[in-house]
Amino acid sequence: MTRRTALFALACLAAPLAAAPAHAQLNLGKLIDGAKTAKKVGDSLRSISEAEEIKLGGDLAATILGAAPLVDDPALQLYVNRLGKWLALHGERPDLPWKFGVVNTTDVNAFSMPGGYVLISSGLFERMRSESELAGVLAHEIAHVVRRHHIKALQTALRSAALSDMNDYFNGGGGLGSQVSKLVIDGGKEMFVRGLDKDDEYEADRMGVVIAARSGYSPWGLGGVLQTLSAGAEDRGFALMTKTHPLPIDRIARLDAALGDRLDTLDGLVDDLPGFVALRTPPPPPPNPAIAPPARKAKPKPRR
Amino acid sequence: MRWLGVACMAVFMTLLAAPASAAEEGLVIRAAELMAQPFLDAPKAGPIAPNQPVTILERRGGWVRVDAGGRTGWVRVLNVRLVSAGAAGPAARGSGGITALLRTGSSGKTVTTGVKGMGEEDIRRAAPDYAELGQLGTLGVDAATARDHSQKNALKEPAVEYLKAKGPRK
Repeated sequence: MTRRTALFALACLAAPLAAAPAHAQLNLGKLIDGAKTAKKVGDSLRSISEAEEIKLGGDLAATILGAAPLVDDPALQLYVNRLGKWLALHGERPDLPWKFGVVNTTDVNAFSMPGGYVLISSGLFERMRSESELAGVLAHEIAHVVRRHHIKALQTALRSAALSDMNDYFNGGGGLGSQVSKLVIDGGKEMFVRGLDKDDEYEADRMGVVIAARSGYSPWGLGGVLQTLSAGAEDRGFALMTKTHPLPIDRIARLDAALGDRLDTLDGLVDDLPGFVALRTPPPPPPNPAIAPPARKAKPKPRR
Repeated sequence: MRWLGVACMAVFMTLLAAPASAAEEGLVIRAAELMAQPFLDAPKAGPIAPNQPVTILERRGGWVRVDAGGRTGWVRVLNVRLVSAGAAGPAARGSGGITALLRTGSSGKTVTTGVKGMGEEDIRRAAPDYAELGQLGTLGVDAATARDHSQKNALKEPAVEYLKAKGPRK
């Protein structure tokens, strides 16, 4: 662990200390090497560097991979990475070291982590009808990373996880690094099982459809995935996805309101591609033309 | 033996085809018009009310063609929610099922071995796997590789502004 990362993690530790006894603040103040107040420490958390974000994201990705390993299918993983990077090039952080992976679990979910890590479950992948649905999910996750939604959620998660860890920290022995790593990983787990801010989910939906469209894909792919989720809300494999996100029906309604027919005039966007169909066994169920209908007949009209 | 193999494959493909062709059942979310074609200015084919049960027949861009109690036409994809269709629905097509078995058989990969859950308790119990993280690290591609994919498929790159948040339509 680098010194800067340790400092960042200490900053996470220190944030809840605003409400802690004065002597605790004092002790921590000495450890933090110049950070005199909890407020200053909080500020340093908000300005986490890109390198720290990547390190943090790696620890959190390793945690999800500890629950479900990568699918051993190089062709699939390459396909998802080419598509994912292509989508990321149409967001605001194209130069992050984006890494995408399909993990082996029948549970339906997708996660992203700071620094450009995106993992989707094979359970979700297998339910996708077309490449534009995959593009929609990846673009939604890319939006979370672009907007640093995890950093905000981690502040909340670490605040609740930190007090018990602080006891260990002050009273227990052991190296500083392992304590801080444990704190960050526990905070990340808390974030994964509680979910991000609900408004951030809606924002990622709105951004995701635009990133997909900018990359040449039908913006309605994400809508198809939300429909799949709307049918599976009571399915056990959807439990964590359901718990950590707004209701699919609410996401559909908000996305519909924001999207309307604004992107109907875009011409030549792709619903599906032969490469995606070839990855799927069996091919996706409904008849699904390769190309969206030409938009020349579509004129924006006021909708009720 | 050869015929046995062919027969087995035929049975296998039939099993695969059954869930794949299962229709998706849904409900209309808000009042709208069925359209004769998937265009905003297409002729109208009659009104549909909220909670009207529909069967999805086809998907095309922002539209789905539905059977609404004997009437067929197009509605906006985001105006339809799906209902749980039990064993026949899309929720039943899991990677742990027959699809993953076929992928395993066809590619020689050990996809189905060691399938793990990713529920709340699985994540709480998980120990970070840095070997897998290293593997993930090898998967990322550069921008040129991503552009190869887009050029091969002639993907367009329209300029599109982000959308503003709006409350749900009534």
